[in-house]
Amino acid sequence: MGVTVASIFWILLDVAGAYTRSSTGYGVEKFESRFGDLRNGLTPQMTFGYVSDNRPDDPSDQAEFYLTQYTLVPALVTTSAAPAGVIANMHAATPDMNALRARNLVCFRNFGNGIFLCRNMSVR
Amino acid sequence: MSLLYLALFCLAGIGLVRFLLPFELKPSLHAALAVSVGAGAGLGIASSLYFLCLTLAGPKLAVIFPVEGVFVAGAIALGWVAKPKGPDLRWADGPAAPWFLTALAGAAAVLGLVFFVMHSANKPHGEWDAWSIWNLHARFLYRSGDLWKNAFSPQISWSHPDYPVLIPGLISLAWSLARGETTLAPIVVAFVYTFASAGVLIAIVGVLRGRTQALVAGALLLGTVEFVQIGAMQYADVPLSFYILATVAMLCLQDRFPDDPRYTLLAGLSAGFAAWTKNEGLMFVVVVIVARAIALLRFGSMPRLLKQLGAMAAGLAFPLAITAYFKLRFAPPNDLTSTRPVDIIAHASDFGRWVTVLQSFGKEALFFGQMAVEGELVRGFLIPISLVLLLYWFLVRFRVEEQNRSAVATVAIAVGLMLAGDFAVYVLLPNDVNWQLTTSLDRIFLQLWPAGLLAFFLATDAPQLAVKRAAEKSKQARQSAKPQRRAAETR
Repeated sequence: MGVTVASIFWILLDVAGAYTRSSTGYGVEKFESRFGDLRNGLTPQMTFGYVSDNRPDDPSDQAEFYLTQYTLVPALVTTSAAPAGVIANMHAATPDMNALRARNLVCFRNFGNGIFLCRNMSVR
Repeated sequence: MSLLYLALFCLAGIGLVRFLLPFELKPSLHAALAVSVGAGAGLGIASSLYFLCLTLAGPKLAVIFPVEGVFVAGAIALGWVAKPKGPDLRWADGPAAPWFLTALAGAAAVLGLVFFVMHSANKPHGEWDAWSIWNLHARFLYRSGDLWKNAFSPQISWSHPDYPVLIPGLISLAWSLARGETTLAPIVVAFVYTFASAGVLIAIVGVLRGRTQALVAGALLLGTVEFVQIGAMQYADVPLSFYILATVAMLCLQDRFPDDPRYTLLAGLSAGFAAWTKNEGLMFVVVVIVARAIALLRFGSMPRLLKQLGAMAAGLAFPLAITAYFKLRFAPPNDLTSTRPVDIIAHASDFGRWVTVLQSFGKEALFFGQMAVEGELVRGFLIPISLVLLLYWFLVRFRVEEQNRSAVATVAIAVGLMLAGDFAVYVLLPNDVNWQLTTSLDRIFLQLWPAGLLAFFLATDAPQLAVKRAAEKSKQARQSAKPQRRAAETR
């Protein structure tokens, strides 16, 4: 019993410290606010593609894709750039638009936080 | 408003349990058990009815509201008119619990509560599995209108759309009735399951073994930071562990009061909701029936077993029918169960996989409770809990009374078979067994932790009684040694 109570108290201190120090992690609210008013007017009939400038082996790449889907429900989000509308999730201070253009993506809306809505020009 | 509806569902479940196991409307152990079991039962029934409404009429509030309303009003009315009769569940006879034990259990409960609140305030959307599976599905059900089936779309196969719908359905239901999303709904659902599990454990151990054992068991559960953490992370493992515990707890009571089949009826209902919560719950339904059959054939009788199987089938019928309907009609193929037979044979004949899984099970058993806080691995207990339990057992030893034998056997066999089943799943099914073990084994143990604690504290002797018995034994040994010594001296 003593061990249990001491353990939980010890860990509580650890956790409190970790939460106050923490600046990383997948803050859902912060992530959702990046999408701004794109979240309004979404319908369940919509399907978006998704591209990102994260390296594919970066663990946050998968998490950010999942969070994008979580944020944009009821629309469906797929990992490909094939749908007509594609979400670009960019992190660089000056996003590489040429890389997007090389994939036939033309961004027509900038949400100001590295989130762009692009049109896939190869889809008619 | 979401919270009000969730509270009403819990109240309806409590009413239903009061109808089945009537108790006086005053604070008591009986009431604590009924409230804890009833809260989970109410949430399970509400979720099942919501899914039924969705499938039959779509997301129409004009249908959902009256259906849920009839359930809530009917169950509360049944509970209200129930007259206390039948056995009154009280603390088992035994030595009074020392004050410091009560204080330590209280401290563990308060610290667990603080930890839960702190975690939920920091991460109101929960963690990875919450926003990539459970709350994601809830959002699809709530936001998609007539296209609610998008929650099970193969396009989001990474979010396991084949997983049962108890938790997402419940959250979506609360949002639908309140006409607005709030993160408080999943937080409250997680809170109810986490702390109701402690309520069930303390109450059932209190009824069967007494106050001291109950306080130690409850403190150990709430002191398992990983249990409270996974609960606050809004994962479905804690709700599943609740239903597993409630099932075996009701079966233990059935053994104490063998003529009243209502306990097994409630056990069946809980087992069904375990299947409606997570895929592992489906395995639990099979396992608990087998465990019960083995225990009763060994310590009971065939007629008793047949009678209980009938009551269990009656309890299982509704939630299992809903689960089967979902699995057959809506769920896409599961990534594990769609493994090809040829791969299963290849996995089974791979000796390395057996060793890997065995090693991981051994490590998890020893270091159970480890957890990650903001990406850093933290030891859950200052001393590994398996060693603490081993020392506890060494000091007090097992002492299973005649009347508890089939109960202990049921719980122990169920936990053992679940572990064996999970072991087989790891060996046979996943392609990347290391990844599967790393990401899920701790939660597999966690699902069985409350039931495991129940088995342990049903089997161990109360500390004061063990001390008393040891003192009597040594006194007897001294007394029998005296004449021998005198005889030797005379000689």
